[in-house]
Amino acid sequence: MIALVRGEMIKVRTTRTALGFASASILLVLAVVLITILAGDPTTRQEKMDAFNIGGALSIPLLLFGIVGATGEFRHRTLAPAVLISPHRARLTLARLVAYTFTAALVGVAMLLVALIVGLPLLSGQPGPDLESSDYLTVIGGGIIAATMSCALGVGIGVLVRNQVAGVVGALVYLFILEPLLPLIADDLVKGSILGAAATLGGASPDEVSWLGALLALGVWTAVAVGAGLFVDARRDVD
Amino acid sequence: MAGAIETAGLTKRYGPVTAVDDLSISIREGAVTGFLGPNGAGKTTTLRMILALARPTSGHATVMGRPYQDLEQPAHTVGANLEVAGAHPGRKGRDHLRSLAAMASIPLSRVDEVLRLVELEGAAGRRAGKYSMGMRQRLGLAATLLGDPQVLILDEPANGLDPQGIRWLRDFLRGMAAEGRTVLVSSHVLAEVAQTVDDVVVIHRGKLVEQGPVSRLTAGGHVVARSPRADALRAALERAGLQATVEGDTLVVDAGDTARVGDVAFEAGLPLHELSARATSLEEAFLALTSDATPGEAAAGDERSEST
Repeated sequence: MIALVRGEMIKVRTTRTALGFASASILLVLAVVLITILAGDPTTRQEKMDAFNIGGALSIPLLLFGIVGATGEFRHRTLAPAVLISPHRARLTLARLVAYTFTAALVGVAMLLVALIVGLPLLSGQPGPDLESSDYLTVIGGGIIAATMSCALGVGIGVLVRNQVAGVVGALVYLFILEPLLPLIADDLVKGSILGAAATLGGASPDEVSWLGALLALGVWTAVAVGAGLFVDARRDVD
Repeated sequence: MAGAIETAGLTKRYGPVTAVDDLSISIREGAVTGFLGPNGAGKTTTLRMILALARPTSGHATVMGRPYQDLEQPAHTVGANLEVAGAHPGRKGRDHLRSLAAMASIPLSRVDEVLRLVELEGAAGRRAGKYSMGMRQRLGLAATLLGDPQVLILDEPANGLDPQGIRWLRDFLRGMAAEGRTVLVSSHVLAEVAQTVDDVVVIHRGKLVEQGPVSRLTAGGHVVARSPRADALRAALERAGLQATVEGDTLVVDAGDTARVGDVAFEAGLPLHELSARATSLEEAFLALTSDATPGEAAAGDERSEST
């Protein structure tokens, strides 16, 4: 299993895909920090935490990274050589999952570093209470968890659907069009939303769902997508 | 003795289309075997089932006595190339091989060895998307050799190769066989394999039509005799029970034995200017076995598999 992860890590490192998504994520977080602090004029602890929240919408590029990475194996027909080395498909998919989530964690760390290095000096002049240690723990720990779980969710979706365009477009349509409509069906459904849970994990106000509830919700989404991907993948032929 | 690769009743159906139909073959260890058939005959589908990339509808396949998925270290037992390289276009050739070597717990130093073997060292730092078809074929071959396997399974390895590349491939395959490896190479172009293979397996419409040494397939043939009295020689041959056709001063006799034709001519007092045996070529044998194939014909399931 370690060898498979090592091989998958080489694959992640040796195309421009990971670099592209990492760059996009860091640029986005930089923009959010600057806009939130300079234009938002944060004065409460929650508003200041929001400036450093890499969950929510900021985790979408990492979810797409997972989808693009997993579907890329099918799109470029690169899966067969790997399956020939590891005919047990579930192990191979799990190795890919580990490689992508580890990469997402590194990107999450880079995003937080940029956010904190740029944001903290700007926040120092803001009125209101300073952030406490527990706030930093939530922003950093929760942010990295949200980043890795979003990417894992993306890998699960990618393995399940195989088609890159369908995976990316389907995820964006769900996140930006269908998920906001969930409260129209039932108010409680919003507690289980992907973006809501990721945002809460990264430090957003836990009004709708607690931090642990958000962890559970995103965990269930990820487990279902990965589980379904493994189940379906083990039963289909490799093109 | 069990073959290095065996299939028993191997069948694959895609909906109503039967791509491979009850195929039972045995590939001799240490030989180069040509896996022949027209486009869409089911060759790739068969290879994919042998390699556990596709699930058989029924039947089973083994490599070195075990189903592929049960091999302890598949990359050290079997090297297979079904795709043209199977490399991400944005990944450098060397990185593609490094990732596969890492997955198979093969030392990374082996990557440079196989790059040398396939004569691709100079292009190893370029992205696979920039490779020519021939370079991608070589990259695929390099990947098959990473684990120094005893069995090589290659699907249409000469596709896209120029004449020099085909000659290189032929030498490469013979070299692999000389090292005692088992090579199964599929092709629909007979010229590619005719000079290379020891055995052949011919399939058509998913069914086995012939398997055995290539010499058996090309056995028989004709005797060519040239005489200034061709018509008289034909009459003498017919009296001796041999059928012959005349083209100018040349007779093509349905016989595998030049001595008998020579004896008939001698006894009839007829001069001979040439007497030679002409074996059936592999291409003739192949066309005879698959003569009802329509050019470009491919069943739906086969199109799917051959295009991969």
